[in-house]
Amino acid sequence: MNDTYDIHMLEPERVMFSRGQGGVFQGVINGKPYEELVVFRAFPFLYTTQYISIRDAKGDELGIIRDIAQLDEESLREIERELQFRYFLPRVTKVGSVKQKSDLWLWELQTNLGPTRMAMRNLHEHMQFPSGNRIILTDINGKRCEIADWQSLDSHSRTQLTDVI
Amino acid sequence: MSILEKLPDKIRAQMSDEPLFSAKTDLRNNGHFGEQWITFTEREILLWETDGLQYFNLKVEDLKEARAVNGVGGGTLLVDTKKGPVVVARYTAALSSVFGFAAKLLTAIAKDEERPMASEKEFPRYCPTCENPLSEGSQVCPICKNNGKVIARMLKYAKPYKLQMIAAGFLLIFTTLVELIPPYLTKVMIDDVLQPKNMGSTLLMVVIGLGATALVMSVMQTVRGLIGVWVGSKLMGDLRKDIYSSLMRLSLAFFDRRQTSQFIGRVNSDSEAMRQFMTDGVIWVSGESLRVIAIFIIMFGLDWKLTLFALLPMPFMVVVSMKLWPKIGRRWYQQWRSIFRLNVLVGDSLQGVRVVKAFGQEATEMSRYAEANREVVRHNIRIEGLWQGMFPLFSFIAGLGTLLIWYFGGQSVLREELQLGTLMALIAYLTMLFGPLQWVSQMINWASNALSAADRVFEIMDTPSEVPDVRDPVPIGVIEGHVRFDKVTYGYEKHHPVIKDINLQVKAGEMIGLVGHSGAGKSTFINMICRFYDTDEGSISIDGVDLRRISQSDLRKQIGVVLQETFLFDGTIAENIAYSKPDATPEDIMRAAKIANAHDFIVRLPDGYDTRVGERGHRLSGGEKQRVSIARAIIHDPRILILDEATASVDTETERQIQEAITRLVKGRTTFAIAHRLSTLRNADRLVVLERGKIVEVGTHEELLAKEGAYHKLVEAQQELSKIKGVEG
Repeated sequence: MNDTYDIHMLEPERVMFSRGQGGVFQGVINGKPYEELVVFRAFPFLYTTQYISIRDAKGDELGIIRDIAQLDEESLREIERELQFRYFLPRVTKVGSVKQKSDLWLWELQTNLGPTRMAMRNLHEHMQFPSGNRIILTDINGKRCEIADWQSLDSHSRTQLTDVI
Repeated sequence: MSILEKLPDKIRAQMSDEPLFSAKTDLRNNGHFGEQWITFTEREILLWETDGLQYFNLKVEDLKEARAVNGVGGGTLLVDTKKGPVVVARYTAALSSVFGFAAKLLTAIAKDEERPMASEKEFPRYCPTCENPLSEGSQVCPICKNNGKVIARMLKYAKPYKLQMIAAGFLLIFTTLVELIPPYLTKVMIDDVLQPKNMGSTLLMVVIGLGATALVMSVMQTVRGLIGVWVGSKLMGDLRKDIYSSLMRLSLAFFDRRQTSQFIGRVNSDSEAMRQFMTDGVIWVSGESLRVIAIFIIMFGLDWKLTLFALLPMPFMVVVSMKLWPKIGRRWYQQWRSIFRLNVLVGDSLQGVRVVKAFGQEATEMSRYAEANREVVRHNIRIEGLWQGMFPLFSFIAGLGTLLIWYFGGQSVLREELQLGTLMALIAYLTMLFGPLQWVSQMINWASNALSAADRVFEIMDTPSEVPDVRDPVPIGVIEGHVRFDKVTYGYEKHHPVIKDINLQVKAGEMIGLVGHSGAGKSTFINMICRFYDTDEGSISIDGVDLRRISQSDLRKQIGVVLQETFLFDGTIAENIAYSKPDATPEDIMRAAKIANAHDFIVRLPDGYDTRVGERGHRLSGGEKQRVSIARAIIHDPRILILDEATASVDTETERQIQEAITRLVKGRTTFAIAHRLSTLRNADRLVVLERGKIVEVGTHEELLAKEGAYHKLVEAQQELSKIKGVEG
């Protein structure tokens, strides 16, 4: 039996994910079916597709997937979708404008999930720089967007960003 | 507030039943940004496209339960049906409260329970005009309010010093006027004395005049400077006091989410920036504008045509200033942020200096600091550089006007249409214009620095306390100590409740032991009694009065705490014991210390009760600090007592002494005690076992042991861990 004090890594071939009729993420783990599964990134900033903790609906950990790339095609597609749902972090493709109107900072953004706008009370509590050129933006209501690499954005976006970074 | 958002007519028209709930999602079902509408009636759940197309429906009779499953930055409304779970709608974090409520309502419909009432807190509010979020408890939209208000609000601080400011203003006007005399005297000297070679008394008079103006000017500058310093220091004192009192007013929840070291910088540097703007800034602006006007009047009087040349570069300068203004503001903010990060870094590593040293990480800390420091340097160069580059540019452009005057004025002098003295005076006045021109850029600097500082300061002042006092609190006097929890739910972040649906009745004088794994919600439980946070749902009452209706100062008078982290303030032991009762007599203090088993060790200290403790003073051991803080609670004489792990990390003998002290302390008071070591709770009348925020068992030690439930397991686990000291102790 597994040691409860050890991290349980799941074997990719003993894991299968799919989407239920109701659109809920489900799967079979070590031969046991689960009609609802929840995914957690152990390192949401550093490793977005690795070290994914798979938990049942109650939140108990069933195991960790070292790298989702090792999964079969359907499982991979579904876990990727589920990660995107659970970690709602649209990737910014273009920064339309960053304006400061009295005490709110307003961002007009284009993301891979469509256009959006964010409002921040200030920048020092709402912009995170986890590493390198990556920026995580959080707005007043907790909505988050990610700029994967601000240096590689188009020149308009970079100009918008120069005075806020 | 209704629980209905205004449904588009196209959708409403298709519904036969009156909707119980309707809301707009901000994500489409595929997780992309977009809008869909969710509505539900007693019979079915419907999801619509905004154009009225039905996307999805589900019969309520198939429904077992609904859940809002919150992810990171967004969430999903899930319903459990007989055929398994179904995703209904997805949303971003902005709407979690709305959908949290929707889930509760749906569950109530499915189970046919009492429908929950929506509170205003559940819905984010938006400004009706610009659709940007409104902050909690405020009706003013920050965007629709303009910058002028910030300045006006800042200037309000100058109001008590009106007289002094006016005096300074008058002095300034006077100095300005006096300052304008010397060039005119020079003109007189050249035209009436030097050129006609008219050696008479005039030369002496002019020189005396020059000397006199110089003297008057320096005297007045001194007086004005003194007034400025006086007003400035007072102003800054007021500001600092206000910022600090706003900080103290804020609830714990505000500080939970922020690093506290940042506020040191805020209180000091932000108030300095505002002070600079208000005293130097305002006086400068008014003084210099006056000077500009006066100079132009004199110049026009001397020769209006030539003066027009001096005006030529002005429009250009105004345009450039306007363009640069927002840029400078942002760069100031950047600069501030980098300093802020540096301060946080220093604050953190100094607070944790023991850990740094213990792990030998000084070098890492230094390199972290070096990096942050580099950022500050870079931003410093950027902002200072910008304005250093701006001033020469401005002077150069203004200088072009001088060149024109030299050229055309020179011609006029050669043609003898203009006197040499007048030309010299014009040039001199024009040079004097450079001073005010310098302030254009300097002022931009100050003003934007001050404005961003003011924004941050007012942000603190405007943050509503999350545990507001009611307007007319119920006077409670000396309470008996009945405490009642009624369906209490609370989470530090809403929708992640840490304690859920807690129901508990505590009699006056009863001692309740809180037991559970770490993270079970024990500390949150007692934080709720202290009203450090307000319940999200349900209520807590003391002697039948809702906590929220008792004024906080009254409440705190009745509650005493001995916390896990004993914090002693910088001061003497006596002062620390008498913290909550500054008028305590030395006898009171000693009596309290005696009960707390602290008297003996205190008297043995070389400085006795006058021993300085706190950050710089004498170092007390953990157990000694504990006993001092118990004495502090004793002198407070509370009706309700809270003990959080009071005996953690002390040796057995000390523990016995503290235990004794506590036994004496709890007598006759309603007590809530938390301890990891279950043995310390053996005096408790009842034990409450918490698991994942819920009460799972309540009863005496014996009852719970006999039950062989969660408590039994905890006890067993602990006995295994330390065979030496069982619960039976």
